[in-house]
Amino acid sequence: MDLDKLLEIGNQCIHLEPPVCVASCPVHMDILAFVSEIEKGDFAKAYKIMENKLPFSRLIGKICDYPCENSCVREKAGGSIRISELEKTVIDLGYVPPKKPFPLPKTKGNVAIIGGGLSGCVAAVELDKKGYKVSIYEKTNRLGGSLWAYEGKGLEKQAIEEELSTIEKKGITVFYNTEVSEQNLQTYKDQYDALYLGTGIWEKTYTINPHTFQVDESALFVGGKLQIKSDSIIFSASSGKRAAVSIDRYINKTSMLASREREGVFETRLHVKMEKISFVPTIIQRSSSYTQAEAMEEASRCLKCQCNECFNACVHMQSFNITPDSYIRSINHNERIILGTHHANAMINACTQCGLCKVVCPVGIGMKEIIHETRQSMVERGKMPVSAHDFALKDMQFSHSDYFSLVRKQPSKEASKELFYYPMIAFSAYARGLYKGSGKTGYLFYPGCQLSSTHTEYIGDIYKHLVGAIKDKDADNDVGLYLGCCGAPADWAGRLDLMPESIEKIRTTWEEMGEPTFILACSSCSATFEKYLPMIKTISLWEVFEKYGLPEVDIKKGKRELCIHDACATRHDSKVHESIRSIVKTLGYSVEELEYSKEKAKCCGYGGLVACANPEQAKDFVEDRKHESEHDVLVYCAMCKDMLVKGNKRAYHILDLIYGTEQDPQKMPTLSERQNNRKHLKQTLLKEIWKEETMHTDETYTFTLRISDDVKELMEKRFILVGDIEKVIDNAIKNKERFFNPKTSDYLARLRLQNVTYWVKYEENGTEMTLKDAYSHRMEVVEH
Amino acid sequence: MKQEMDTTTPWMCDKCHEALVLQKVHVRYLEGSFEVELLKCPTCKMVFISDELAMGKMLEVEKGLEDK
Repeated sequence: MDLDKLLEIGNQCIHLEPPVCVASCPVHMDILAFVSEIEKGDFAKAYKIMENKLPFSRLIGKICDYPCENSCVREKAGGSIRISELEKTVIDLGYVPPKKPFPLPKTKGNVAIIGGGLSGCVAAVELDKKGYKVSIYEKTNRLGGSLWAYEGKGLEKQAIEEELSTIEKKGITVFYNTEVSEQNLQTYKDQYDALYLGTGIWEKTYTINPHTFQVDESALFVGGKLQIKSDSIIFSASSGKRAAVSIDRYINKTSMLASREREGVFETRLHVKMEKISFVPTIIQRSSSYTQAEAMEEASRCLKCQCNECFNACVHMQSFNITPDSYIRSINHNERIILGTHHANAMINACTQCGLCKVVCPVGIGMKEIIHETRQSMVERGKMPVSAHDFALKDMQFSHSDYFSLVRKQPSKEASKELFYYPMIAFSAYARGLYKGSGKTGYLFYPGCQLSSTHTEYIGDIYKHLVGAIKDKDADNDVGLYLGCCGAPADWAGRLDLMPESIEKIRTTWEEMGEPTFILACSSCSATFEKYLPMIKTISLWEVFEKYGLPEVDIKKGKRELCIHDACATRHDSKVHESIRSIVKTLGYSVEELEYSKEKAKCCGYGGLVACANPEQAKDFVEDRKHESEHDVLVYCAMCKDMLVKGNKRAYHILDLIYGTEQDPQKMPTLSERQNNRKHLKQTLLKEIWKEETMHTDETYTFTLRISDDVKELMEKRFILVGDIEKVIDNAIKNKERFFNPKTSDYLARLRLQNVTYWVKYEENGTEMTLKDAYSHRMEVVEH
Repeated sequence: MKQEMDTTTPWMCDKCHEALVLQKVHVRYLEGSFEVELLKCPTCKMVFISDELAMGKMLEVEKGLEDK
């Protein structure tokens, strides 16, 4: 995969974009952290944060012109956060006198500061910090310039004196009563490596580079009022700071412009959605300044602007405490390391690829496609953990096999003759549909592997209904049946090598059948068809129900309210959303719309094979979803129902409502039962509809199994099938390959099946084997 | 892979009717290959792996190797 392109996408993420207050502060004070500390009541820490970006913060904090307040997002919802007042309070309550400076050798060069006003003092202190020997030339007998205008008007004399006295204590030389002019400037130029001009007034007007404040390519840098052309305190301080950066780069002969795009005021890419922000009015101070409590309350109004749209919507990102910017960096690292542990594997395999992040992202970053490409790359490089998707892929192979896979045209008129006698033809739409058989397959009902596993009993009825309803209105088109797996598990697992097996078979069948429209009942099938089989026309079973009518059901109006959990794979398919809602209302239920519905549907946790690769993460998805509403849930994806019911949330598949089987207590089939259901579905349909006997019969053994609920649960957790257990015990009996415990009379046997060794502990009572334990390992044990 | 199991066990080989003995056994997974001491039948060489070992240390090592 193209990692550079990936990193570029990561850079688009605005999670770490500064809030607009910070972007509009010329020195970029970390207002978010500042306000957070105030909210916590730690005023000393808040002062430290101020001091970090703002030299002489004890002074500037009191007289700053606060451009931050003008841009505050809170403005329209109660008034801007009063950062001005907060800074004043922090200085009063949190100021800590600076520690005695530790003089470092000043060896990087000599710089002269012309003019000891605010910008000059800032430039001097900044350059001193960087290791320059700094001399200030001030025409009056004191430093501070325009700061003194605030004496008694916001600043106390003592504070001004104390703060300015730190300059000389640092070892900066100050030449008082020394006026420098354009005439003698050259003398200073000859004497110093660089000059900073911050006099406020100067006889000559220089052309200043707007980014570096440098005059031409010379050693002269201009800041303060001469550069900002205003009386702004904070812009003056900022220009001193920025000129110091330029001077340092100039003397060091490094790039004057590199990575400085965001110095000064800049436009942040962060945009905060206003709709969810409730109105909270500004806290008004009762005396001249905020009390500690008032400041804390005002700070708590701050929205702490940050983009967390995807994070707030995604359980997976929350579990890994990650946002796309850092997620993408982790993927990049995981993809690039050659030796060592791929720490991001678990995370990459815990994304449900549901696509919600992209829907809520203000800049349109979607992890679904990135995760898909990453998994594909892991597979191609042989770095995909085998165990992550092994079970699901084997289960897919089962669906592809003759046990389940089945394609049949509508039974012909000729073959259905015995149905065509009066009462039958009069009362059965199905019989009438068969009677109208045209031989041309216009529709192919494709229920998918999961619905066939968990809602097996409905498939035959649905098929018969489709034949009756469709043929009634559209006599030309027969309805065929196709049992199989679309290949979604392989797609999720990044196993593109396995896709053709599913896709090619579907495409060939479609062509051989005369290009029928597929009727799909599974949202994952829809997504797979759209992605890999765009030439095939599909329609959801729900739209067919809406168009051709529902199976005849007993509709009792005024039933309960249900919340709809839309299938994440259908998030962009509004036709499905509408059909489902229309059916549910026809059936007499009322609908509660969840916050995360339709386009913003949340995944049940099965998507991306997370239920297989990381069952704990899948559970988190269910937990998140189930608490969204008190109501029972309506779903239209078999896996959603499976996940929710297993998570102890009452959920109904829309077919449960249509066929009126609101089973209670709700129970979903085990992994083994799911395979058996598919096998038996094929046999039953062949027998009942096509009058065919199947060649495949169930494996028969000389023994029967007894499995307690506890062991069943353990087997589910460990992805062990009854069929695997039977093979182990059969081998143990036939070849005596087993251990015996004389104390308990238990047997313990093992058998390697493909890439897994299964172990079974059981008790033998005649031909009945009672299971005590089952476990497995992938590691191969060499026995010789 | 460190060996973390009992050196004695009530289990015995059902085919050979032998008590199990602790011996060096070769185990491998993906790129990893180790010698570990495990209980096995001295005659037919069938190796005994307990639930604790399979679902504990072995699983951990398997996962570690899969992430290499």
